[in-house]
Amino acid sequence: MADGNGRTESANADVAETWRNWLTETERQVNGFFNEVMGTDAFSRVAGNYMDGYSVMQRTLNQGMERYLNTFNLPTHSDIVELGDRLRTIDERLTTIEGNLRTVAEKAGLEPSASVTQLKPKRTRRPKSQKKNPAS
Amino acid sequence: MTTTRQPYARQFVEAAQSQIDRNRERAKKGLEILLAREEPPVGITPKDVIYSRGTMRLYHYRPWTDEVYRVPVVFIMSLVSKPWILDLTSGQSFVQHMLQEGFDVFMVDWGIPRPEDTNLRFEDYVDDLMPRCFEEVQKATGEEEYTILGYCMGGMLALMYGGINPDAPIKNLICAATPVDMDGMGLFKTWTDKRYFDIDRLVDSVGNIPPDLMLRSFEMLRPSDRLFSYVRLLDNLWDPMFVMGYRIMYKWTNEQIPFPGETYRQFVRDLMWENKLLNGTMDIAGKRVDLKAIKYPVFNAMAEHDHIAPYKATRPLTSLVGSEDTEDITLKGGHVSLVAGKNAVGRLWPRVAEWLGERSV
Repeated sequence: MADGNGRTESANADVAETWRNWLTETERQVNGFFNEVMGTDAFSRVAGNYMDGYSVMQRTLNQGMERYLNTFNLPTHSDIVELGDRLRTIDERLTTIEGNLRTVAEKAGLEPSASVTQLKPKRTRRPKSQKKNPAS
Repeated sequence: MTTTRQPYARQFVEAAQSQIDRNRERAKKGLEILLAREEPPVGITPKDVIYSRGTMRLYHYRPWTDEVYRVPVVFIMSLVSKPWILDLTSGQSFVQHMLQEGFDVFMVDWGIPRPEDTNLRFEDYVDDLMPRCFEEVQKATGEEEYTILGYCMGGMLALMYGGINPDAPIKNLICAATPVDMDGMGLFKTWTDKRYFDIDRLVDSVGNIPPDLMLRSFEMLRPSDRLFSYVRLLDNLWDPMFVMGYRIMYKWTNEQIPFPGETYRQFVRDLMWENKLLNGTMDIAGKRVDLKAIKYPVFNAMAEHDHIAPYKATRPLTSLVGSEDTEDITLKGGHVSLVAGKNAVGRLWPRVAEWLGERSV
């Protein structure tokens, strides 16, 4: 019975194994075929033309959208970018202020607020190879 | 007759039962995936943000051991993907492995570029943000020296930083899947052929390169991957570990982020077209990137079947630096499986920890 079971299991495994090998090989061949096609000069030219078309379409879309948004008195992409810029400046100023506050707090002997800075493990760890042979 | 038939009958029933069980599991898992609302938890290793600017965050992971190596290690992520690939999930996290091994770990996460980040260039990352992060690492640890570990483009940024700062207190440099010879970039090189690819028109029109465009170009490198990954998923739906791994990787692959426009222009012009990093003619903020000035230990991890940073593009790295203490390691697998998954857990991570441990005291 054990032999019989073993045979069935091994037959099942073989089928599964064959199927997976076939899958991997087919995938490799399909990718290989497309990579060959896409690696040609002709494909590069087509891809370049596509990107040009994509760029023109994006630009036209952006300009058209900006006109519509202005008409409806809604913020445009550039307005949001400008707003983002201003927020970033504020963010950077806050970071500087936080840094300065931390320095002041440290000088005054107060605990810094960042929790991780309170975790101060010893920096004395040595690699296993050096632990085994302390003389080296 | 009965005695010989019975075992076969039993085997048939057992085999049928096993197939029924598997198919029931397949159907159940399939439904779970189709109806899934909750995303798999990723990047959950406890950490604190110790510095931030714009979209960039510098994380300090909470140490897992009472005693750590003297030299901290700073992970530098790529500009084109989310950093949690290095901190997937418990037992599948490179960061956690390094913490367990007693390293003090930091990570620079560039975040998701916003429209106002279009003008960011290599100079901003290499000559401004990175030095500022290293200062914070020095402050947090009290140590002057640090190790840099760069993944993919993060490794390129690390090389550029080391190349323009020969006196920086870098103790070691680890690069994983880091291309340096752009002539080896395969299809990417062909597609950005300067005769057909108008980089200026693209960047001037779209600003940051849209994530969808990035994702499609990565997918085109292996056009049948998505289809075959679905077939493999179907085949393994009964296996919870496989399904979890699939869902995490699916999430990571599809969470592509935009590429800052000006950096992309620089990447194509200086690296893809002129191969300046390899030729030693790259300048960052008016300073020449001199890779021969890198004299500290360098570890270069490459994947044999990497389709994004092909082996040919990553192989010359250690021959370009001036260090005498270098190590190259080539693993089977691809761009992602080099740093995440079974291959990484069993081979790359222990090797990195061992190599780095000996050089971090």
